[in-house]
Amino acid sequence: MGVNISTLIEPKNLELSDLRCKGVAIDAHNVIYQFLSIIRQPDGTPLKDSRGRVTSHLSGLLNRSANLLENGISPCYVFDGKPHTMKTETLESRRERRVQALEEWRQAREEGDLEKAFSKASQSSRLTADVIESSRNLLRYLGIPVVDAPGEGEAQAAYMSSRGDIYAAGSQDYDSLLFGAPRLVRNMAVTGRRKMPGAKGLYRTVNVEMIFLDEMLDNLHIDRSQLVDMCILIGTDFNKGIAGVGPKRGLKLIREHGDLPQALESIGMSIEGYQEIRDIFLKSEYTQDYDLALRAPDKDKVKELLCEEHDFSAPRVDSVLEKVEASLRQQEEQKRQLTLDRWF
Amino acid sequence: MFQAKIRSDALKGIVNIISTLVDEAKLNVSPEGIGLKAVDPAHVAMVELDVKKAAFESYLADDTQIGLDLDKIKEVLRLTASGDIIEMEQDEERGRLIVRVGNITRRMNMVDTSSMSDPKVPQLSLPVSVDVSISEIQKGIRAAESVSDHIALTADAEGFELSCEGDTDSVNLRLDKAKLVGLTVSEKARSLFPLDYFSNLVKAIPSDTVVKINLGNDYPVKIHFDLAEGNTSVGYLLAPRIESD
Repeated sequence: MGVNISTLIEPKNLELSDLRCKGVAIDAHNVIYQFLSIIRQPDGTPLKDSRGRVTSHLSGLLNRSANLLENGISPCYVFDGKPHTMKTETLESRRERRVQALEEWRQAREEGDLEKAFSKASQSSRLTADVIESSRNLLRYLGIPVVDAPGEGEAQAAYMSSRGDIYAAGSQDYDSLLFGAPRLVRNMAVTGRRKMPGAKGLYRTVNVEMIFLDEMLDNLHIDRSQLVDMCILIGTDFNKGIAGVGPKRGLKLIREHGDLPQALESIGMSIEGYQEIRDIFLKSEYTQDYDLALRAPDKDKVKELLCEEHDFSAPRVDSVLEKVEASLRQQEEQKRQLTLDRWF
Repeated sequence: MFQAKIRSDALKGIVNIISTLVDEAKLNVSPEGIGLKAVDPAHVAMVELDVKKAAFESYLADDTQIGLDLDKIKEVLRLTASGDIIEMEQDEERGRLIVRVGNITRRMNMVDTSSMSDPKVPQLSLPVSVDVSISEIQKGIRAAESVSDHIALTADAEGFELSCEGDTDSVNLRLDKAKLVGLTVSEKARSLFPLDYFSNLVKAIPSDTVVKINLGNDYPVKIHFDLAEGNTSVGYLLAPRIESD
């Protein structure tokens, strides 16, 4: 879920091709969850193989990765490590919501309410160990780098982009900004369309968005630690936040009082363990053990996993693999072309 | 304020060059003329233009900026014959440019220039300077295009050479010193360039033009020339490719 500060952010729209020749670290859990929610049949049933195992995420990862490569982007996927203990409550409430959504989905399907069924099914999506495992295998076989974060994946992505090893962090959540990613790219979808919630058959156009951390902080007239403080007031994955404090009020309080303790004092509230939450964002764990080089796909392994294990159509997988190989060759070519930037 | 008349062929010559790199351009207008700097989206090439007041049939302007949609200007140019006079006038209130050719008036929205910054121009010192008639190079480009996507420019004290290595074929055009207008070489130089950029530029230059090419080793190439009887100067910079092993 992450912090909800979209109302405070003015993203820049761009085309995927604007990220040509650039590396993007994708928040793996975030994107896999998206695939599980969206790639479903009209009544909400996810894609499954003949043995009943969910394959929505594999279909999503295959097409998304091929599309990014085709646009000249070098993707890597960052997987979350151990969740922080302070996230337990969030995870617990998500679990409860999922169980409830599953029940509501069943009910909606029986009543023939497809729209509700799809929406409830989406909410019941679950990142199981199998889903994570098969995702990692697919990416590895495709030759796309996988990075294992010791803690939050977004923290790792932020570290890699602040070092310049990648250009931007890719996630739908804004948390990457709190972790210090200089650039966050959202909506890297293939089609540029997204289903409108609740409106059957209606789509809205979704642009690829880029948010520059420095620019955003400038616009808000706060620094990064104040951004973190503000989000703790509003609520993060690690704490509930103060009831009645949304982005607008949170920003005002932090601007007026400078930091979290003083803002809290001014409204006579307290947040338990706030220093620890600050540290999650500002002193996050990361690893330096990663290799972001793209490799040629192991076509046999990809086909074994997708076609033999999970009943994907072989011609379709073949055609995507061809696309991937052509894109890699093209990227190799492009890297030889220098830009004028190095002489400025 | 900006109000000017220009011959269609003069405007066409300028637009042809700029549009090899960008679709939209920011003109920095002053009482003395118009300046422009543009980098293509991939940052591989840039062009710097200086159009003097004298390049126009008439010219009256304060300091201002005009955001030009080059496709729209090309549409207007298609309506003209060589020698026609094109009248341009800035409508500051409405943010529009009014363009008249004969009895046709086209009003076009100007492009917002607030987010278009002027690129910095790298200062390069390059060991080779070649003055050559562009028509010689145009011939070489036609020969190269079927062979490869890249072109190598080489110069030594004896001459200047364009060469292309394809997978199976190769082609080269050798211009000995006698074929050149001028040649100064302080050190032998060779760099490889993307052929599409190079050829788009070369084809956009009128064939009676003499260009000055500054070359280095794995360095950007600088191509300099004048248009409109010396009243427009153009500098073009193209980044090199790394040679494959």
